[in-house]
Amino acid sequence: MDRIRIFKLFLWCITGLGISAAVARFVFGLGVSTNLSDNTAWGFWIGFDVVSGVALAAGGFVITATVYVMRREEFHPIVKPAVLTAFLGYLAVIVGLLFDLGLPWNIWHATIYWQHHSALFEVAWCVMLYTLVLALEFSPVPLEETSRYAKIRAFLMRYRLVFVILGIMLSTLHQSSLGSLFLIMPYKLHPLWYTPILPILFFISAVGLGLMMVTLESLITSFLYRRKTETHLLAKLGKAAIYVIAVYALVRFIDLGARGKFGFIFEGSRESVLFIIEIMMVIIIPLVLLNIPRARNSSKGLWTVSLLVVLGTVFNRINVAGVTMVRTTGSTYVPSLSEILISASVVSAAALVFFFAVEHFKIWENKAQDPQTKVEKMPEFDRVSNTWLGTPKVSARVKYSLAFVLSIAVGIMFWPFERLESRGIDPMPVVKARGGDTLIVNGNRNFDLVVFKHKFHEEKLGGQNSCGLCHHMNIPGDRNSGCWQCHSDMYRMTDAFRHDWHGSPRGANLPCAECHAPDQAKLAETAKTCDKCHNDLYPPGSQIMVENHMAIGYVDAMHGSCVGCHKAKKDEVGRPNLALCSTCHIKSVSDSVNQAIAMKYSPRKSTWVTIPKEEDQKIYEP
Amino acid sequence: MIGILTDTTKCIGCFKCVEACKSTYNLPGDYPRRWTQHDGLSALNWTSIVVKSDDQFVRKQCRHCLEPACASACPVGALEKMPEGPVVYHNHKCLGCRYCMMACPYGIPRYDWDQRVPYVRKCILCYDRVKNGQQPACTEACPTEATIFGERDELLKIARRRIRENPGKYFQDRIWGEHEIGGTAVIYLSDMDLSFLSYGKRLSHEPLPHTTENAMNAVLPAFGGMGATMIGLHWIISRRIQRAKEKEHKGGSE
Repeated sequence: MDRIRIFKLFLWCITGLGISAAVARFVFGLGVSTNLSDNTAWGFWIGFDVVSGVALAAGGFVITATVYVMRREEFHPIVKPAVLTAFLGYLAVIVGLLFDLGLPWNIWHATIYWQHHSALFEVAWCVMLYTLVLALEFSPVPLEETSRYAKIRAFLMRYRLVFVILGIMLSTLHQSSLGSLFLIMPYKLHPLWYTPILPILFFISAVGLGLMMVTLESLITSFLYRRKTETHLLAKLGKAAIYVIAVYALVRFIDLGARGKFGFIFEGSRESVLFIIEIMMVIIIPLVLLNIPRARNSSKGLWTVSLLVVLGTVFNRINVAGVTMVRTTGSTYVPSLSEILISASVVSAAALVFFFAVEHFKIWENKAQDPQTKVEKMPEFDRVSNTWLGTPKVSARVKYSLAFVLSIAVGIMFWPFERLESRGIDPMPVVKARGGDTLIVNGNRNFDLVVFKHKFHEEKLGGQNSCGLCHHMNIPGDRNSGCWQCHSDMYRMTDAFRHDWHGSPRGANLPCAECHAPDQAKLAETAKTCDKCHNDLYPPGSQIMVENHMAIGYVDAMHGSCVGCHKAKKDEVGRPNLALCSTCHIKSVSDSVNQAIAMKYSPRKSTWVTIPKEEDQKIYEP
Repeated sequence: MIGILTDTTKCIGCFKCVEACKSTYNLPGDYPRRWTQHDGLSALNWTSIVVKSDDQFVRKQCRHCLEPACASACPVGALEKMPEGPVVYHNHKCLGCRYCMMACPYGIPRYDWDQRVPYVRKCILCYDRVKNGQQPACTEACPTEATIFGERDELLKIARRRIRENPGKYFQDRIWGEHEIGGTAVIYLSDMDLSFLSYGKRLSHEPLPHTTENAMNAVLPAFGGMGATMIGLHWIISRRIQRAKEKEHKGGSE
């Protein structure tokens, strides 16, 4: 198979997976399918799709300015692909934003509710207008195909310079205003990135990125379509990029010096490392390589430089949009699979449209060869030998469609069902301490443990016959079911009785009349109780008959069985402190609250647990 | 300009204010979710009490800044500073960009993450009640007058009087929210450092909207300037090319 076909197949797969994830995002909501939270309201979608996406589409205005305003006609061959990339880039930004917005159907509100103090308002307007301008700049290309629209095309071509200049003006505004977005967060952003001239830095780096993005796009397409690379043009772009990157470096370091923040670079913190990586990728390595004529004129050198600058600038945008805020917000955000899939699919879809365009319109000197239009001979059935003659061939279009549909189906596998089912925090199972009879209850998940001495309680409550006091109900066929098996949610009531399973042919396969009397309404209240069939449901000594099929939340269950008994027994055993929180939650309450805040209930963080020694616990013994 | 004064030394941590808030706005019960923070605020809890130690409680709520960053950040004006003082939220305008949540230096606005039609939620200083001459539900419910409602100037006077009468009782004799980021309508007196309520440990006195103002003021000049530069450049370069062509032409004819 050809490179381009393999690549397209891959893109169709990613798009399909992303569409699946996108359906899940709208069906389940943001909270389920993303890892965004109250202190990380902006994540990967804003950092990559929007802030980086707009910057990546900067090639359009840079190249049109070069060709139409500065009249450098030699760059004419790369104008159309650059404008097309920019146009698709902006469409991708808008589509990406639709996923991120909580109320995407209100995206047009910026046109009627004006709030001109907001940087985002300005960005919204500029992006809208510039996408329109790009559409006007690009539309002569598809209109070329038929002569029917010659008049419109002539009109568009006549006023092209106006559109180009308008586009440059709009680009200047919103490329810089994306930086202004973050000016309002001086306390969140790290001082190495926060500067009042952030908009200017964003604009200069967008120009540099635009040049490099055009280079990269040209390199990628010539690799895929086996075209000749316009190396002489790209080398010239590289030469221009030297000045842009140098100006960027100068402005950035002078600004750092003027604000007296140089020290942070050598701080050794995570942010300083990020900063050094960024500077290496965007400034130092590209400057060195671009200044070597041999590297600049070879496709390998151009690949390296353009990839470095593109990835480095995206890195810079993501840093500004979130990573460097972690120090103050303490966010533990990592993009979820859905977020990454949706972003990737938006990019893939844009790339597919790009390929469609270069194959059907005159973007380059010659139309790219369309692998789909190759006539493929279908195998014929030979009646005499009773076999198929010729190898069966499936056309590329069928393959793409199959890959697309299949990956949508596969994508459903990645839907975050587990997050849907757990409407809250699942309780932690009670664990047995190693080599002992002691049980560890880590209900709050903050490792502020309740240590439950099983044998001690058993003896106090009357030996073998006392099991039923706590294990008041068992799952049929099981002995001593754990509390969390029915009390499966931390705070809410959950269904202990599985009605569907009892009726289902693949489950118990029971007729309705087995539990519901035929002449009565079929209600939970009138149904047979569970112990009518399950004799072993209530263990000996059990004092609780459960009529309700709803199990209360885990917290209430644990507290309910312990606290009640402790309250009743405190006078009997002569220990007035028995019913206090601190009897079981061994640390003081305030400590546990503070620790809970510090640990943030994060399941990712784990620590070694020290179980209090016997001596420490002795004071509680009666 | 109305406001609330919360004196954390008087707070006994009874959660009456939280209950009053929840019952006033019919907010259902809340439990820790993946996206909630551990200060107790969420889309269903517009005020909360942060327990700092056994007898130190800090009520957290929207500060209703005099120059709110959230309202200046919102691209559609869904968050609005009312002339009476409260910063209120208009459901019908919001598009869900969550820029307000990013902009707030106190991290107050919370999101309905589990809803398919999510909105931003935060304390609105009981705007409807205040307009009708009532006081907010929380201050009404407080049994110890730890949190009181009134004109902001009056509250500042009360706060200064308390500091004067109890020297050494309050942390740095400071009224939290008097000047930071241009002042807030909800002010605090406390015997401990309350800088944990905000993201920056030391907030400057400059209101946050001013940080974007310079950039926004430069927008129109930049727009016009860029246009003029481009037109000028094009004109100059075209003329130069034209002249070069003419010269060539002349040279050819001679």
